[in-house]
Amino acid sequence: MALSREDLKAKILEKALTGPKAQLYVKDFYACDPESGPRDIKNAANDLVKEGKMTFWSSGSTTMYAAQGRAKDEENR
Amino acid sequence: MPKHDTPLLDELEKGPWPSFVTDLKRQAEKKPECFDILGQLELSYKDKITHWKHGGIVGVFGYGGGIVGRYSDVPDRFPGVAHFHTVRLNQPSSMFYNSAKLRDICNLWEKYGSGMTNMHGSTGDLVLLGTTTPNLEPLFYDLTHDLNQDLGGSGSNLRTPSCCLGRARCEWGCFDTQDLCHTLTMHYQDEIHRPAFPYKFKFKFSGCPNDCVAAIARSDFAVIGTWRDDIRIDQAAVKGYISGEFAANAGAHSGKDWGKFDIKAEVLDLCPTGCMWMEGDTLKIDNSECTRCMHCLNVMPRALRPGLQQGATICVGAKAPILDGAQFATMTVPFVEVKKNEDGEFAEIVEVIEKIWDWWMEVGKNRERVGETIQRIGLPTFLKVMEITPAPQHIKEPRSNPYVFWQEDEVEGGWERDVVEFRKRNAQ
Repeated sequence: MALSREDLKAKILEKALTGPKAQLYVKDFYACDPESGPRDIKNAANDLVKEGKMTFWSSGSTTMYAAQGRAKDEENR
Repeated sequence: MPKHDTPLLDELEKGPWPSFVTDLKRQAEKKPECFDILGQLELSYKDKITHWKHGGIVGVFGYGGGIVGRYSDVPDRFPGVAHFHTVRLNQPSSMFYNSAKLRDICNLWEKYGSGMTNMHGSTGDLVLLGTTTPNLEPLFYDLTHDLNQDLGGSGSNLRTPSCCLGRARCEWGCFDTQDLCHTLTMHYQDEIHRPAFPYKFKFKFSGCPNDCVAAIARSDFAVIGTWRDDIRIDQAAVKGYISGEFAANAGAHSGKDWGKFDIKAEVLDLCPTGCMWMEGDTLKIDNSECTRCMHCLNVMPRALRPGLQQGATICVGAKAPILDGAQFATMTVPFVEVKKNEDGEFAEIVEVIEKIWDWWMEVGKNRERVGETIQRIGLPTFLKVMEITPAPQHIKEPRSNPYVFWQEDEVEGGWERDVVEFRKRNAQ
């Protein structure tokens, strides 16, 4: 059975905080719960951005997710 | 900000054409950061590399697209462009503006940005070039509250949908491109403003096969107007073209000595499938062979018009040449009626879109356009996912991309065979 939205968010945030890669594609989160569909994962990741726990990093052509403070930030380098 | 010497850029002001260098110099009188654009570009010309860095975490709250971070890699030399972000605005359908709206946009950009714009970017958005991070939220507030306009798409989002002029100005529009573009833009606000996909995804809508927004070459999901009955012929007007009463191409190529209009040389012999001929002074068309190239309709618009059973063809998977070269979209749905249901939605089109997305979000790799996924996994699988029965028109050319394979249950005896018996007859 698929995880609840809150459990899914916790799994995604854990991966974003502790994974070796600081910036992740949305597909990298699919493994957090193989039972959840791509849209559920995307919506959960976007909720975390709205809550300020994660952030988007965009090259302009692709968008990645990162835990707050882990993304490459040109302005504070 | 000081003026920089720009001898290489100055060369671009010579000659008879308008020059962006001249425009930038003029703009620099009001916005001194434009001197630094010129200075940095001059340095790039010398070094033969770009000095822009793309990407970052910049954006406006709640949105995951519409702002593209740009930074200079030589900010100490050109502090005016240390941050120089791009803002994409969702253009109105068919890019219709009145002068008051354009003035408002220019005033907004003079207030918060460099004043430089790109009308329009290749996706179709109205692109505002060059602002700083602190200006983004105030700009967005004014844009949405005072101008009643929104940001467009960027990153792994649905990009800002765009369409041709359609029935607003064009007699060949086979469906209402503006209505479809606007309705889907509203329907997919979440996908435009927040990343949803393995990579970018673009919609483009052309009202006829002339494809004025180049949907077939530049969009992942191209809806191109077509008709399924016969081209309408006004034989009296055909005679009028032959006699010289009407100018071919509506006079578009007039003014040179092309000689008298020659229907054989200029229309019949240029038909790619040879489906047109004259019987006496009557034009005949074998409509079953017409590939909708539009040449004859373009040359004789008064005489030939699209049929009356109008709708669209959906092509999927075009892209620019970042990986594996550029590719055109593949014809996927030969004909669909473009009509709204009682809820005001284009349900049939939405169903096709979401089937594609569900599959691509599942199997597409990171940074893989849907056309590349189709190429990697194969058109047969894609057509099966789309629940579309293969048709001869899906084949590019015979014996080069065969993709219709027998399934085991379609073959008598299946794939099982007696290997011993086979070896008896085919012993080495």
